[in-house]
Amino acid sequence: MTAQPAPLTTHAEPAMGTVFSFTAVHGDRPPEAVRAALAAACRVLHHCDALFSTWDPASPVSRFRRGEAALGQLPPEFPEVLRECRAAKEASGGWFDPWAMPGGFDPTGLVKGWATERALAELRGAGVAGALINGGGDVAVFGSPADGPRWRVGIRHPWRADALACVVEVGQGPVASIAAVATSGPYERGAHLIDPATGRPASRAASATVTGPSLALADALATGIAVGGDEALAVVAGLDGYAAYLIRPDGSETDTGGIAFAH
Amino acid sequence: MRRAGWYLVTGAVAGFAGVLGFHVGGTAAPAVLGPPTRTPAASAAGSAPAATPSARAGGATGSARTAAGSVVQYGYGQLSVTVTVRGSQIVAVSVPVLHTIDQYSQQLAEQVIPMLRSEVLAAHGAQIHGVSGATYTSEAYARSIQSALDKLHVR
Repeated sequence: MTAQPAPLTTHAEPAMGTVFSFTAVHGDRPPEAVRAALAAACRVLHHCDALFSTWDPASPVSRFRRGEAALGQLPPEFPEVLRECRAAKEASGGWFDPWAMPGGFDPTGLVKGWATERALAELRGAGVAGALINGGGDVAVFGSPADGPRWRVGIRHPWRADALACVVEVGQGPVASIAAVATSGPYERGAHLIDPATGRPASRAASATVTGPSLALADALATGIAVGGDEALAVVAGLDGYAAYLIRPDGSETDTGGIAFAH
Repeated sequence: MRRAGWYLVTGAVAGFAGVLGFHVGGTAAPAVLGPPTRTPAASAAGSAPAATPSARAGGATGSARTAAGSVVQYGYGQLSVTVTVRGSQIVAVSVPVLHTIDQYSQQLAEQVIPMLRSEVLAAHGAQIHGVSGATYTSEAYARSIQSALDKLHVR
């Protein structure tokens, strides 16, 4: 390695009611190609938002929820997201269940991670050396950052917006594979965590973090652990490639093993 | 398994202990405790994200840059964050404003904070590429550590 810092481009884009932060390490790509890839990634986010916004009564997902559109009449992303939702419900042992939401089928807990992955694929397809997308607190990476082999992701402290509970290291895989870090907890938007068993708001965690190869699934599993606490953590412990870190409401911590905590 | 304990994102939190000792009940209007920051903010607190990408050299060294967040309500009180970076490395996070609502959160803060400050800077300089946390709203983003990182990266 030389002392010359690798060029990178950063960008922040409001979408899906939150803000997405991008970091793209150019590698051998010219800056204009990186900018074009970032613009394409943002278009992907806005497209996914338009399809799956439960806030927009005219969106396809809202029509689907009201029973006004059958699956065959909806864009091809729908069967894919439904498949992912079914897989996530099963993988979480039922702690994540888009079909148990009070207002009807609601894939929101998975869609942001799924959309982030699709946006990241635009950057990977453009040939940049590495990239990180942070979708409102859910992170997906590939390749390496500008200043080392692995990406370092701080996990926000649940009771202190200015502090980290810990730092985890992810990535260093081949450029073709992504690594994800998703965190859920009641401290930003408490009542969105619904216990599928009761249909009512519930949270048995102060903060739940899941790492693994898919942000869509990690996002859903983190939501599941935020609802189910230790019981849901035990389910994730049995999943290949996924690991979890839980801060309980009393401030005690536990994890499944398999997370690279930075020391 | 991992070591017990949490750490703050920073080490150099001048005057923080004094701020911590300040305790208010209820949810008073935001108030700034002086003296807050020493360097000019890199951009206005709470400003919208830049509309277009901009390039920079990753890991570049150079002069320290600081961005301040606005005073915010969080689950247990009020706080404001100021982050200083040199190149891509966080060198300081200060909390010029912190009011905790109840005894419980104040106890938590007192337990956690002294442990964290020295640990992070000593161990790895708090060099992080992003912050994972419960999904924030567009409004809450403005006062997150992530937004401070983005402000400092996007010139």
